[in-house]
Amino acid sequence: MESERWQRVDDLLQAALERPQADRREFLRQACAGDKALEREVWSLVASEQKAGVFLQSPAIDVAARAIALQQSLDPQETAGSHTGQTISHYRIVEKLGAGGMGVVYKAEDLRLRRFVALKLLSDELAQDPQALSRFQREAQAASALNHANICTIYEVEEHNYLPVIVMELLEGETLKQRIRAGPIPTNELVDIGIQTVDALEAAHAEAIIHRDIKPANIFINRRGHAKVLDFGLAKVGSVLDRHAAAGTSAASTFTIEDQLTGAGSTLGTVSYMSPEQVLAGDLDARSDLFSFGVVLYEMATGKLPFRGESQEEVFDCILSRAPVRPNPGLPAELERIIGKCLEKDRNLRYQHAAEIRTDLQRLKGAATGIAKRRKTIVPAAAVGLTLFAAGYFYSHRTPKLTDKDTLVLADFLNKTGDPLFDGTLRQGLAVQLAQSPYLSLVSDQRIQRTLRLMDRPADAKLTPELAREICERTASAAVLEGSISPIGSQYVLGLRAKNCRTGDVVDEEQMRAARKEDVLSALSQIASKFRTRVGESLAAVEQHDTSLAVATTQSLEAWKAYSTAWNVAASMGDDAAVPLFKRAIAIDPNFAMAYAALGRMYGGSEEPVLSAESTRKAYQLRDRASDAEKFYITASYDAQVTGNLEKAQQTCEAWARTYPREASPHHFLARIVYHPSGKYEKAVEESRKSIELDPDFAIGYSHLACSYQYLDRLGEAENTLQRAAARKLETPVFLVQRYDIAFLKGDKAGMEREVALGREGSGAEDWISNHQALSLACSGHLQQARTMSRRATELALHAAQREKAALFETVAALREAFFGNAPAARRRAMAALDLSREMYVEYGAALALACSGDSERAQTLANDLEKRFGEDTSLRFSYIPVLRARLALNHGQPSNAIDLLQIAVPYDLGMPRSAIHGSFGALYTVYVRGEAYLAARQGVEAAAEFKKILDHRGIVVSDPIGALAHLQLGRAFVLAGDRAKAKAAYQDFLGLWRDSDPDIPILKQAQAEYAKLP
Amino acid sequence: MGTERAAQPEARAVDDISALLRAWSGGDQSALERLTPIVYDQLHSLARRYLKRERPGHSLQATALVNEAYMRLVDQERMQWQNRAQFFAVSAQLMRRILVDHARRHNLKRGGGVLHVSLEEAAMVGGDQGGGDLVALDDALNALARLDPRKVQVVEMRFFGGLSVEETAEVLKVSPVTVMRDWSTARAWLYRELTGETGDGV
Repeated sequence: MESERWQRVDDLLQAALERPQADRREFLRQACAGDKALEREVWSLVASEQKAGVFLQSPAIDVAARAIALQQSLDPQETAGSHTGQTISHYRIVEKLGAGGMGVVYKAEDLRLRRFVALKLLSDELAQDPQALSRFQREAQAASALNHANICTIYEVEEHNYLPVIVMELLEGETLKQRIRAGPIPTNELVDIGIQTVDALEAAHAEAIIHRDIKPANIFINRRGHAKVLDFGLAKVGSVLDRHAAAGTSAASTFTIEDQLTGAGSTLGTVSYMSPEQVLAGDLDARSDLFSFGVVLYEMATGKLPFRGESQEEVFDCILSRAPVRPNPGLPAELERIIGKCLEKDRNLRYQHAAEIRTDLQRLKGAATGIAKRRKTIVPAAAVGLTLFAAGYFYSHRTPKLTDKDTLVLADFLNKTGDPLFDGTLRQGLAVQLAQSPYLSLVSDQRIQRTLRLMDRPADAKLTPELAREICERTASAAVLEGSISPIGSQYVLGLRAKNCRTGDVVDEEQMRAARKEDVLSALSQIASKFRTRVGESLAAVEQHDTSLAVATTQSLEAWKAYSTAWNVAASMGDDAAVPLFKRAIAIDPNFAMAYAALGRMYGGSEEPVLSAESTRKAYQLRDRASDAEKFYITASYDAQVTGNLEKAQQTCEAWARTYPREASPHHFLARIVYHPSGKYEKAVEESRKSIELDPDFAIGYSHLACSYQYLDRLGEAENTLQRAAARKLETPVFLVQRYDIAFLKGDKAGMEREVALGREGSGAEDWISNHQALSLACSGHLQQARTMSRRATELALHAAQREKAALFETVAALREAFFGNAPAARRRAMAALDLSREMYVEYGAALALACSGDSERAQTLANDLEKRFGEDTSLRFSYIPVLRARLALNHGQPSNAIDLLQIAVPYDLGMPRSAIHGSFGALYTVYVRGEAYLAARQGVEAAAEFKKILDHRGIVVSDPIGALAHLQLGRAFVLAGDRAKAKAAYQDFLGLWRDSDPDIPILKQAQAEYAKLP
Repeated sequence: MGTERAAQPEARAVDDISALLRAWSGGDQSALERLTPIVYDQLHSLARRYLKRERPGHSLQATALVNEAYMRLVDQERMQWQNRAQFFAVSAQLMRRILVDHARRHNLKRGGGVLHVSLEEAAMVGGDQGGGDLVALDDALNALARLDPRKVQVVEMRFFGGLSVEETAEVLKVSPVTVMRDWSTARAWLYRELTGETGDGV
């Protein structure tokens, strides 16, 4: 009976399907017990079941709808009227074969050569985009040059109705995709197909043609078992089409209509075969094809895809960040290795050339077919070869790609998200992350800006990869870092590529995915860490100094955005303009340590020391939320600015310099904050030189070096240093003041006037220049003019709302009046200064002015206050307090007490107390007051020695009033010492210096009177 | 509730469909003529959406779409059918009838490729892909019905009716395992019929 037999067939089929694929045939042979017809019948159903794939798997209405869609999507020309029977050029169309995303394919007869060909008519969507059209033609022309047994030959590219028509080889057989549907392909056959495919790729790559869309549907197996690769170089055009069809899809591939129709769920189209760099829409090279080929190999071997997911996003995620699903254990280990090497996410770790894969596949083929005996002899040799190879590979892999001598240029991130939040923020973030590396060194932003100026580009020019590359070459750097961020659905992919800027070779490439916007910063941290280890930094170093960006900075992207914008603003418009943005960053994230530190830096730059110290203190409190590199900066700033504890600052800076030997900042700090105040100017020269060597475009480094030379009275070298900076087109307002002072020290009036004139031209230093003018005018007794200049300086500062600075100028004026003996004016100025600020230098200067003007009580109170508030400060302990206490002791008629009080200051006598660095007063005051004490104690010789020190260190004193007064005091000392001639000479020096002075200055009147009484 | 919804055109359409389905299952052929345009509407709107090639990201989950189309045809909650199983069976048959007629009428023979191969492949193979279109499938189903009618019912439920294995089991009053076995045998048999593949090498 038919139904009985059918029942048997059905049962046997089900029983067979329950068994493993390999056992089914044997099972049927036994179960059918010689009934060959039955066996054939059931076996054919087993085979069908294996091949049926997606057959009937989608609902009928879906199939029908797709059929309609397909019919209508075919070439619009088709709907207007079929091409069948028509002739295009010398091709007569026989029938339509089908359609793909790019157009319709017809079988046609070549009337000249009497052979059948396939004609591919491009969709007229292309015609709407002339650029795409010409690109397509170029690509097709290039592909048509490929003549290889394993490449579907493009015979020619014709034109029809102004649209290109590709004439190509007509293939008969099936695609690899269909073949794989029946299940995994046996290793022998797999290797055969693989070698042929790789041959095709090698030939194309040799012509610099990248396929871009290697997938089983593009590999055709003809009836003789030959593999042919289709559609070379056409994928690029596909992406154009795709863009037309679905704006924004970045994937470059020949999407087939099927891909469009199936959407999510089944095959996910060709995205499964994309290389990571394709997913990221990066630059592609031949190695992208080798990755896709690896996916094909994997699929041939297992029947499954290595990167699977329910959605396109999931597949992308797998391609970018997950290891392939482990293939079945039965796979030959060598094949697994080959596949693994194709599927390396970092293309530098992949096979680099198709030929390498062929070699390995051929070896595998030999191993698979070779007889056991032969294999025995081969294995040791192969094993040796493999070991050597592995060692060589390991070695080359471990060779650092960058050394600790190289510098890097960071280009702006390519932001493909359209979200302005990422503009600027990511570059800044990466800079912070890489700055944590003691090994790598980025070209500083100052240096980049300077280089841009040399290139006649605006300092805030966008650092495109091309521009960055030019800067890289000009700064003799090793590599350019190009970052990118691309959206994938609701997610983001960050890319980082290091390119050798001379050869253009990619040194390293990293990718990282962020599921949400909030994760972007942490992804950036990870990518930076990966990059650091990859280019040669030791893992230990990376682990030791690798605070994630979210911890090191802020978790808020908005706060980070404000912060990084602030730095850009600071670079292009100055520190003051950046302040509100840093404040905004802090308002968004009140625990943002780096923003406080930066604010401290900005206030420091605009001579707002109180605000600066306040911000720095806050940063110090939050320093655990900063990277190691930044922590050093914050701690050193805190030591220097807030506590003023220079011993601690020195320790911090020395540790900093040891940890980050490529960082210039600890050397700046050591020079300016540690060695200048302690008077170790030779050491300061050394540190400044180091800092300039490390960062030759940091203007302040030159300033510090010039200062050191000036303090050593080596004016020529100081000038040279400033000229070197000028030659590098470095400019800062400080230079102007320094040049003015040097001209003053040289007695170069024209030079001084030149700087004053420059100062008037909106240099940002007019207030400082005015203050220094006041100082130098007073040196020759031009007190009225000095007062005018001081007033001008104060007014300029107040106009700019810089009260701290104005207070300093007032202090300088108060001290001048005090030294000159105008007690009421000195007291007025001192009180005015104190009204403006209670900052340490102001309080100190005002207190001293008051002490010198008879207001001991107030001076005493201020001294107590200073000690209470700034007890740890080195300058305070070794300069300000001894000076004040000694001065007050003198007021109370206790000169020996005063001398004792000043004893502690001796080691720092020749140093620059920080009031001198920041407020241009206070240098050598310990010496001056000690001299006064000796005078009061009637110890002339000792007094003369002190005042002599002042006259011998003009580079330190510069235009401080004590410089001029030291002559007079020296005269007094010599009188006491009984050296009449020297006394007279000293008096004459003073009176000569003040020969054009205002007549009614009390100290001048005293000097004249004393001189007149000289015997 | 009934009155409220009856005021809406869509709800009225659902009532109509239920009535029409009942009429059709009762042998009223004119009901089919009135049902057909309703199915066509859904079919073409589905096809239009495919044609637009909506981005995979925004998908266009095939099943979701089909379900949507199906639900528009038949609001199960408002179904007046006493026998849910009978309703499913009738709708599946209806879909088969209408879709096959549509394919026959529009000569979508070439489009049959969509049953199991990609179009790009169809483009390259240079020949007919085995005629796996709906018309051929209908013929093959008729042949299978002579051998094993229940397997044809399973195919109708699952492929044309879009029912799950469990729903199909419920309608046919068999176990889900049986449905799965029937389904795999039917698929193998139909695939062989449509592609002309034979198990060579035995």
